[in-house]
Amino acid sequence: MTVTADAPLELEAPPQPRYAERPLGVLTRPQGGRGWRDWLSTVDHKRIGIMYGTAAMFFFLVGGVEALLLRLQLAAPDGSVLGADVYNQVYTMHGVTMVFLFIMPLAAAFANYFIPLQIGARDVAFPRLNALSFWIWLSGAIFLNTAWIVGGGGADCGWFCYTPNSGVAFSPSHGVDFYAIGLQILGLASLISAINLIVTCLNMRAPGMTLMRMPVLTWMLLITQFLLLFALPVITVALFLLMFARLFGAPFFDPAAGADPLLWQHLFWIFGHPEVYIIILPAFGVVSEVIPTFSRKPLFGYEFMIFSGIAIGFMGWGVWAHHMFVSGIGPISVAAFSLSTMFIAVPTGVKILNWLATMWGGRLRFTVAMKFAVATVAMFTIGGLSGVTHSVAPADTQQTDTYYIVAHFHYVIFGGGVIGLFAGLYFWWPKVWGYMLDERLGNWNFWLMLIGFNLTFGPMHILGLQGMSRRIDTYAAGYGFELWNMVATVGAFLIALSMLVFMVNVWKSRRTAASRPAPGPDPWDARSLEWSIPSPVPEHNFDEVPVVRGRDEWWHRKYGIDDDGQVVRVATVEEAAQRGDAVGVHLPSPSFWPLAMAVGLPLIGYGLIFNLWLAVIGALIVIASLYSWAFEPVDDPDADHGHGHDEGHDGGGESGDGPGPDDAVGEVETAETDEPAAVGASEGQS
Amino acid sequence: MTAAAAPAELDHGTSGAGGAAGHGGDHGPSTGISHVKLAMWVFLGSECLLFGGLISTYLLYKTRANGRTLPTDVFDIPFTSVSSFVLLMSSLTMVLALSGVSRGDDTAGRAWLLATALLGAVFVGGQVYEFTSFVREGVAFTTNPASAAFFTLTGFHGVHVSLGIVMLMSLFVSSVKGKLTRNNSETVEIVGLYWHFVDIVWIFIFTVIYLIPAD
Amino acid sequence: MTAVGEDPVKPRPGAVRGLFRSAGAALAALVGLIVSGCAADAELDTFVPQGPIAEELHSRAVVPVFAIAGVVFVGITVAMVWLIWRHRVKSHSDGDWPRQTHGHVPLEIGWTVGFLLTMAAVAVIMLVALPTVDGTEANAVAVDVDGREVMWEPTVVVVGNQWWWEFRYYLSDQVDLAALREIGDAQALPPADIVTSGQMVIPTGEEIELVVTARDVIHSFWIPALNGKRDAVPNRFSPWKIEASDPGVYFGQCTEFCGLSHSRMRMQVVALDPVDFQAWVDRTIQDAAVPADAAARRGMDTFAGICTSCHLVEGVNDETYAANGADQASGAAPNLTHFMSRTTFAGGFLNTYNPDGSLNRAELEAWLRNPDGMKANYTVPGEQFRGMPDLDLSEQQIDDLVAYLATLGRPPAGWVIEATEVLE
Repeated sequence: MTVTADAPLELEAPPQPRYAERPLGVLTRPQGGRGWRDWLSTVDHKRIGIMYGTAAMFFFLVGGVEALLLRLQLAAPDGSVLGADVYNQVYTMHGVTMVFLFIMPLAAAFANYFIPLQIGARDVAFPRLNALSFWIWLSGAIFLNTAWIVGGGGADCGWFCYTPNSGVAFSPSHGVDFYAIGLQILGLASLISAINLIVTCLNMRAPGMTLMRMPVLTWMLLITQFLLLFALPVITVALFLLMFARLFGAPFFDPAAGADPLLWQHLFWIFGHPEVYIIILPAFGVVSEVIPTFSRKPLFGYEFMIFSGIAIGFMGWGVWAHHMFVSGIGPISVAAFSLSTMFIAVPTGVKILNWLATMWGGRLRFTVAMKFAVATVAMFTIGGLSGVTHSVAPADTQQTDTYYIVAHFHYVIFGGGVIGLFAGLYFWWPKVWGYMLDERLGNWNFWLMLIGFNLTFGPMHILGLQGMSRRIDTYAAGYGFELWNMVATVGAFLIALSMLVFMVNVWKSRRTAASRPAPGPDPWDARSLEWSIPSPVPEHNFDEVPVVRGRDEWWHRKYGIDDDGQVVRVATVEEAAQRGDAVGVHLPSPSFWPLAMAVGLPLIGYGLIFNLWLAVIGALIVIASLYSWAFEPVDDPDADHGHGHDEGHDGGGESGDGPGPDDAVGEVETAETDEPAAVGASEGQS
Repeated sequence: MTAAAAPAELDHGTSGAGGAAGHGGDHGPSTGISHVKLAMWVFLGSECLLFGGLISTYLLYKTRANGRTLPTDVFDIPFTSVSSFVLLMSSLTMVLALSGVSRGDDTAGRAWLLATALLGAVFVGGQVYEFTSFVREGVAFTTNPASAAFFTLTGFHGVHVSLGIVMLMSLFVSSVKGKLTRNNSETVEIVGLYWHFVDIVWIFIFTVIYLIPAD
Repeated sequence: MTAVGEDPVKPRPGAVRGLFRSAGAALAALVGLIVSGCAADAELDTFVPQGPIAEELHSRAVVPVFAIAGVVFVGITVAMVWLIWRHRVKSHSDGDWPRQTHGHVPLEIGWTVGFLLTMAAVAVIMLVALPTVDGTEANAVAVDVDGREVMWEPTVVVVGNQWWWEFRYYLSDQVDLAALREIGDAQALPPADIVTSGQMVIPTGEEIELVVTARDVIHSFWIPALNGKRDAVPNRFSPWKIEASDPGVYFGQCTEFCGLSHSRMRMQVVALDPVDFQAWVDRTIQDAAVPADAAARRGMDTFAGICTSCHLVEGVNDETYAANGADQASGAAPNLTHFMSRTTFAGGFLNTYNPDGSLNRAELEAWLRNPDGMKANYTVPGEQFRGMPDLDLSEQQIDDLVAYLATLGRPPAGWVIEATEVLE
């Protein structure tokens, strides 16, 4: 199954009959409900978001255990916890897991859950495709990790898997095959998701929600989806070449046959550098929501924030070869990419100062979410500045492939990305689950993570400048590496402890949720539309689709500004919020076919590696699911949604998947309820 | 709204925007393009990068012979020109098919859909013939980096054309069953977008790979 | 870092000179102090340049950009801490709202321009420093080759292999970068006058051009004290350069992940003054002689029978070796003609000599007995080897081989043996 082969399947759907056909008669159409089976067939963007988030946190633990093994091995000279071979597999899988199985799906969780809520939509444009994205992602994640069991070990080539070291001759186990095929499956999931979310953002905004009124989180996620859209096909090409080289002997990367090993590096990093922004921009979006809320000020320079995000998105395409300054690409290329790398720092710096300006003169209330958000800015600043130091190509010749780089990208990805997403977890937790996370345990979580993080990765700057190469499995005493490696290992265990505290916090907060006051729709006095509806969010999101009059629409429904420029309350949360008790809201019907189809893909993967008959079975499953999917109407006419779904339209879904009914729902509701009851002082466009 | 009519749905999106305009913003919240069509445009944007990567790979490798025969040595330009022309003509028939379906002329719509699929099949058949004759002349997939890149690029394109044929035949079958009417002619338009894209990519491949000589 | 200047054996304390050249280098200085303070003898320290190239790189690129980054870091951090301190509140009370500022375009344009100017300054730093590491201005060096003086364009061809480095010297028939690129195949390099591994020997005070390539996978050649790094990409030939001011030993470590024993792929540059360098050339350019000792002769026969499939001793197994070189994925293994003239073996990872100057017999025997016990190798029977396979040698064969190896080449000067000791 290829990306290109798969994506157009939306179009293969012939016009659908009015009544459900069950061409295979295998599965009865699932009905909505709340048991565990319903999670398998759900097309609700919120449930899919929750599943993304949960699975991502699970793989965070997997990647974290891998990290702890690495740190144990390197804690002291001549480490013997892991052998060289296992060490190489563990560090490779640590990187792959953290990037593709943790941060990206956690960002996808936020995107799935909050894009529709922030733009005032009832779901995404293609709910079943959304489910398909998740299940494909999960099947790819599981596939990748089964390499440990059936592949003779994980990939052992580093997360960027440079050729020819990743060729069969130099990596004879199946680990790299799992890498090449697994990342294609994951990429397919992200591609489908990107298309879906782009269409959602562009087409499904509530009335009045112009692009320049969209919340910054949605904006940054939208930019992320565009980066995914254009970056994924490039790595798909690279992975196909690698797969053809390994499985069929194509000489794409065989220097003896005249191939150029740098081709892989170019293709990988054309994907790989935008990937950095794919990881960091969602966190920027989270921070841009959290800081204004807890500063009691609107985001400073919304337009600058948006356009700097877009600028980062564009410039991110012109800097890839800074990963290759020492590859021997020639001084002209080095100078050009060195310059472009420097200037991508400008929009990033602008963002940092705008966040500080948002805090300036504000009322900074340091909840755990705010602490994480401010820490994100501080840690990312360090990561960004160490990035500036090796944008200078000559200086980079001393720094690249040392622990200085390891420190740099962890400050960016962990310090910026992960800590930023943790801000989001604490901020939106009550919205998703209907109870708050405990602030006291949250503080422990925060401080342990911040201190642990800095103890782990701060010393790596020094180690790198002392000349410690990355990816070495042992080092001898006497290079001066001993102290800082031990400190880093201690720090890593502090991070692990902070994760333990996080899990205890979730467990305890959930257990005591009933005995504490409910958070209500808007516990933080926040600004965007998702806070105008109950927590947890009802299945249909909005009772009535809101009409948007400006940025920070929800805030403006609560507050106005009087003639003296003072903020005055015009409505309480209770008055302004929706009740979530609407009936008659039509929702897309659940379906098993996304799950069924996703099961087929890893079978194709195993088949390519082990036995082509398996691939045939996998392909048959995919085709059968596709066929059944195509003939399954978007809305099940037999279904009882418990909402009395016949509100003036029959949801026949004549035009294939999704768009008709969902879109229609939003629009119909809008027409009915065009004038919401409470509209705050219409400060509107700031 | 009855979701039956795609164009109506399109209008509805626009009127939603108009509703918003009443509140002081003149920017509609929707693009005015239906979800599926927009998704196709977005997807085709992604496809550009896929073929961009494959074409770049071929251009980098096109002279790397590893001491054996290069694809450029065995190109049969007249043959490929004819099959390229066939594929180009299929874009014309695609336009005629859409025109037929959208004005409710089922017979014409079906005929042109079938013609488009047939022309596509002729192209794919030509490609299969071309591949086998190349292999006979000593240019196989693993012969050298140039041949591997050539077969990967043109093979990917061939798979795209084949998928397009599957879509066209699905449209044809649903038309025969009476399920493809002028009301949902947008589906034809969207398949047409894909088909034209694949054609344009081939024009590019044909020019860059076949017509521009290797040094 | 161990350098041999005035006092040929004492390690020189890591100098942090040049750090205060720039007034704004406070942070760089701090980092430098931590680095050198914690590692007085860190052999790979990037902040202790030992040659003009590395010094220029350090003072023109590293220090200025660290200074700029440090100033920005301090500025942003101070601003943030001040904001937190100034504006923090315990809780939000209903009536307490600050002025709702949405932005300030001139201000934002101001700091956009500010960042642009800052990065323009960084760009100038880069453009000024780039020629430091790129482009060569090496002068020809007079070298006596078999009694004939040649003007050597000082070029060393550096070849990465799993997991050892080869250094090739073309003195009589010189090859340059263009010629090597014309050949385009690192497994078909023209015969060189001197082929050594693990340790590159260079004359002091001369800029040495390197042509960096590899035979199997990508490696990276890096001697932090002498210059930054350059990747060794199979069949690509990349120019690089190093220069050492003083006689001494400068350490390095492969820095591009290259498989199983990546971390045990080490290298050293031994810089000798011109007289010592000429002496090294004189010794190293000769073929191996047939040993007189009986055990060594038996060892030579064992070598020619078993080791010949990978290793070459010039003047002994040139013909059988050439017929067999394919057991290794890289198509090559270290040339052992002057085994004793270098002080490391097993990819620069093990010491040939004990600190007292005697042969490190224990580790040499252990290596021959069970290479995997000393260093991870990939030696699955039936597949191409990567690294040294277990040859199942008898103790007698091992003794003989050690006796033979001990006759190959002559030991270097005592200070070199002492200064080159590898941390195992």
